[in-house]
Amino acid sequence: MNLATLAAKNLWRNRVRTVLTIAASAIAVLTFITLRTLVFSWTSASEVAAKDRVVTRHKVTFVMPLPKRYVEDVRQAKGVRVATFANWFGGKDPKHDQEFFGTFAVDRDTYFQVYDEMVIAPEDLARWKEDKRGAIVGDALAKKMGWKVGEKVTLDSGIFPNDPDNPWTFTISGIYTTTKKSVDRSSFLFRWDTFNDALPAAGKDQVGWIVSRVDDPSQAANIGVALDKVFDVQDTQTLSQDEAAFNSSFLAGISAVLRAVDVISGVILVIMMLVLGNTVAMGVRERTFEYGTLRAMGFQPGHVAFFIVAEAAFVGAIGGLVGMALSYPVVDQGIGKFLEENMGNFFAYVGVPRHVLVLALVLSIGLAIVASLVPAYSASRIRVTEALRRIA
Amino acid sequence: MTDTTTSPKSYREPAASAPILISVKGVGKSYTRGGETLNVLQGLDLEIPEGSFQALMGPSGSGKSTLLHLLAGLDRPSTGTIEVAGRRIDTMSEGELARFRAENVGFVFQSFNLIPVLTAIENVELPLLLTKLPSAERKRRAQTALRVVGLEDRMGHLPKQLSGGQEQRVAIARAIVHDPRLIVADEPTGDLDRASADEVLRLLTKLSQELQKTILMVTHDPAAAERATVRLHLDKGRLSLGPDAHPVARAETSTSEAKAEAKSKPASEESPS
Ligand SMILES: Nc1ncnc2c1ncn2[C@@H]1O[C@H](COP(=O)(O)OP(=O)(O)OP(=O)(O)O)[C@@H](O)[C@H]1O
Ligand SMILES: [Mg+2]
Repeated sequence: MNLATLAAKNLWRNRVRTVLTIAASAIAVLTFITLRTLVFSWTSASEVAAKDRVVTRHKVTFVMPLPKRYVEDVRQAKGVRVATFANWFGGKDPKHDQEFFGTFAVDRDTYFQVYDEMVIAPEDLARWKEDKRGAIVGDALAKKMGWKVGEKVTLDSGIFPNDPDNPWTFTISGIYTTTKKSVDRSSFLFRWDTFNDALPAAGKDQVGWIVSRVDDPSQAANIGVALDKVFDVQDTQTLSQDEAAFNSSFLAGISAVLRAVDVISGVILVIMMLVLGNTVAMGVRERTFEYGTLRAMGFQPGHVAFFIVAEAAFVGAIGGLVGMALSYPVVDQGIGKFLEENMGNFFAYVGVPRHVLVLALVLSIGLAIVASLVPAYSASRIRVTEALRRIA
Repeated sequence: MTDTTTSPKSYREPAASAPILISVKGVGKSYTRGGETLNVLQGLDLEIPEGSFQALMGPSGSGKSTLLHLLAGLDRPSTGTIEVAGRRIDTMSEGELARFRAENVGFVFQSFNLIPVLTAIENVELPLLLTKLPSAERKRRAQTALRVVGLEDRMGHLPKQLSGGQEQRVAIARAIVHDPRLIVADEPTGDLDRASADEVLRLLTKLSQELQKTILMVTHDPAAAERATVRLHLDKGRLSLGPDAHPVARAETSTSEAKAEAKSKPASEESPS
């Protein structure tokens, strides 16, 4: 036995209370980790964007399309190595209409040149290029839906007409994987030419956005400005941004929300601190006579303060570790997996970053110590004879 | 080992030449509450020879615990000097007092005050945590102390698994484990039945006689006081001697009474309600 084990043994005094306090701390820590991780993985999607990609979209909103002929203009622009284009199809598999995944009509020849972090077996790619009704799907999506190469899938679009005589039926030509964790592995890609052919005349030859790859990433912003200048004098104006800016323009509207979530995650820990401080104060009050007894034996006020602070630190540490341990099944395996599979466009990869774990543990121990300072100080200051009087 | 039996009549009178462990001169203690001053103790003089077993009696509220706390270095007097083992404890700082208690004083309380989450041996080991002794030696000494009180077979028991009498014996083991010269006990038998009380008293007698511990015991129980070699009586802030008081103490106390009389304040001021 030593002074620290004495402090630790005090945890066993009121087991129910200790377990509840630890559970409360663990839940607070878990919530903190979850919120921080979501904010982190959402914002990091824009940070891991390719530096050499420029996205051109309608000046007003990315929901409005651009004329297809703009693609050629972009390809002609100085500094652009290759450009591709895509449309958001808004498709769903009616057989699994609870499952959300990104569906895009993409250019057969250039899409995978621009998005070279998507990896497809050469024979799959060749098959797709031959099959007008072919589709390439992400490995995560294929696994979730149980799709195999060669399987036929019919989608319903939420945007474009669904003709019962000519449904949006595709054959899976291949499955892509990714070289970066941050790329969505749940997209469904099919050929833009097929898409365009199926549209009524009024809707033909329009693209959702154009993505170019530039030779010199440091020039990406300038190239964007130059592109917008070209289209300024035409019927549809554009906004071109490097990919990170484009991604964060998705986020711009909710950045205040993200900041609020960050603050809330901190508030939760502070609430935990108040709960813990109250528990510590309660225990200290009940034990005043014991501290009096220890003081009579010759323990110093500092010893008493140490017992109280150490006990609180133990609770904070155990609560923090339990919360951290739970974060793997709950966040990495649970919420994270779910978001990757269902909202891959926003949460391509959700995993608890190490810095969040460290921060959670440091804060839960640190705040527990802070919470115990006032009760520790007042308990250490009480006069021995006063404390002993409380026995009777 | 439960054989702590000692005949109540076989007192070992400390030799008249026994060294003085505690010397109290002109000690007073007053509390101020809401503007009113309460003089609990006034002008006390007292000498306690090393190895004596003294019982302190008196009506409730007469200041027995207050005096005990002063002599044990738990509190400081408002006036006067207290010397224990050659050291002035009335002028010590809080920290010095704590170190003084850790070395020289063992406490026994009416309600035992064992730490409920610690086993008997861990409770006994507590005062040794303040020493530099290695863990194995601390444990060995705690075992020895438990053997002295006859509870070596209860080392792993928690306080709630012990009877009241056993708890108090563990508390006594805790009070002697660091080998203090002074043991103070505030109504140590107050919460015990007669048989357990007798056992605790036999134990205290044995500590005094065999280990030459100086014991100061507050008690309301005349049978308990019978065990002591000196019986002091405290009333209205003054000390007097019981029937078979030790001559040295008697002499000291009578002079102090004369002195106290000489400088006493009007009775209305000194008698607490
Ligand atoms: N901290 C304090 N503040 C004010 N008054 C106090 C304080 N401590 C003790 N007293 C008063 O001093 C007087 C003596 O108290 P003390 O506890 O010494 O009595 P006692 O002789 O031990 O009584 P009992 O036999 O009931 O234990 C009482 O009137 C008590 O109210
Ligand atoms: Mg008392």
